[in-house]
Amino acid sequence: MTIRLAGLASVLLLGVGAQPAAAHHSFAAEFDANAPVTLHGTITKLEWINPHSWLHIDVKNPDGTTTAWMIEGATPNTLLRRGFNRDTVKTGTEITIVGYRAKSGANRANGRDLILPDGSRLFMGSAGTDAPQDGRAPLGEQ
Amino acid sequence: MSTRVMALTVVVVAVGGFAASAAQAQIRSAVAAEKPAFKVPRTSWGDPDLQGVWDYRTITPMERRPELGDRQFYTDEEIAELEGRATKRMTQNPDTTVQTGLVHAEYLTDPGRHVDESKRTSLILDPQNGKMPPLTPEAQARQQQGAAARTAGGAGPAGGRVDSYLDRPLYERCITRGLPSTILPTLYNNNIRITQGPGYVAIVHEMIHETRVVPLDGAPFSGIRSYLGESRGHWEGDTLVVESRNFNGKTNYRGSGENLVLTERYTKVSPDRIDFRLTFNDAMQWVQPWTVAYFLRPSDGELYEYACHEGNYGLRNILEEARLADKAAAAAKKQ
Repeated sequence: MTIRLAGLASVLLLGVGAQPAAAHHSFAAEFDANAPVTLHGTITKLEWINPHSWLHIDVKNPDGTTTAWMIEGATPNTLLRRGFNRDTVKTGTEITIVGYRAKSGANRANGRDLILPDGSRLFMGSAGTDAPQDGRAPLGEQ
Repeated sequence: MSTRVMALTVVVVAVGGFAASAAQAQIRSAVAAEKPAFKVPRTSWGDPDLQGVWDYRTITPMERRPELGDRQFYTDEEIAELEGRATKRMTQNPDTTVQTGLVHAEYLTDPGRHVDESKRTSLILDPQNGKMPPLTPEAQARQQQGAAARTAGGAGPAGGRVDSYLDRPLYERCITRGLPSTILPTLYNNNIRITQGPGYVAIVHEMIHETRVVPLDGAPFSGIRSYLGESRGHWEGDTLVVESRNFNGKTNYRGSGENLVLTERYTKVSPDRIDFRLTFNDAMQWVQPWTVAYFLRPSDGELYEYACHEGNYGLRNILEEARLADKAAAAAKKQ
């Protein structure tokens, strides 16, 4: 899988570390923060669903076949408040996704950036600032 | 109104040396003194009108950062820096070299970019050290027992145990965020809608879309326990006071569950601000009650339905990831 993926996406290993956490949709239980991935593909569907949106893209392989990927995005409420609407990201648009792969190597990723053909980015926001709590809920809360 | 309170706060900060209690008293008296200037609007049946969609995003932390010591207020320079950083976080491309993903990936979240207008260095108003009060000896013992049990049983993989969906938190399973968590500033969906009718107030929490219908008629608590407990309200002047108790113990906040009693106080202090206060009381958990305070502001837009369970692929994916990891581990063992 990794070899195949390397052919269709640039896999960057940056050596960053993830910490475990037990709260809503733990990133660490599903995705690997040590496996950033960049994918180029065509949007087939954007599911505006709760608790998180899911973007579906077809990534072209060197042999002409395509591989379907699912990319997790922010909750629709957050996307709407950031100015997204159904016309922002249309089916058929060629995009680049920068995100983090599923731990198992399944064709899923947590999307960090969505880069449109004109170079503009969505899902923006810097990770890792040290503002107070950075908006994180105290861990382990219910 | 709030501008004037803020101006007063600046004065309080500027003169420095004031005891924290004096500063706090100044704010409170300022709010009280301003009250005659602002006449709280009324519903058609005469109750103070608090209705609307209210936003409580803030980057002010729950507890004061240790390096701030006893300092109760940020300086304007500090606020500018903190808010600048928070804005940058929301508008600039992420730095790919820094850590991501503690709970949610941070870039998926919407915690706002403002320090609370009180300028306090913690949401905790009381005690004045900006920290939660110490745990009772019983709570400390429970905490130690819990830690020992986790050590004995193993903490499980990163992100917690995943042997069954039952291992996953109620929040992740889209069942409830629970009180008080659902009313505290968090990762996103920091909005409530207040709707009033004669004898009732309904509070809709955007996070996991839960609604409390709060009787104001003096009806006694039934004693029926639930995730959100039971809420009963009354008016103290223009302040809506809501007391919640009878939690079912399946949710908890920092160890406090079924014995927790929460008291919310909503006071409209200007056309577009509600002074919100929340007091935690659990004599089994903390040595004294404690209170957080922050301002609610009108939301930029609608309160959206957060029908969390409709597409909860995350829960399925987390379980699938764990089973695939099990298989990989078993295969590795055979070799």
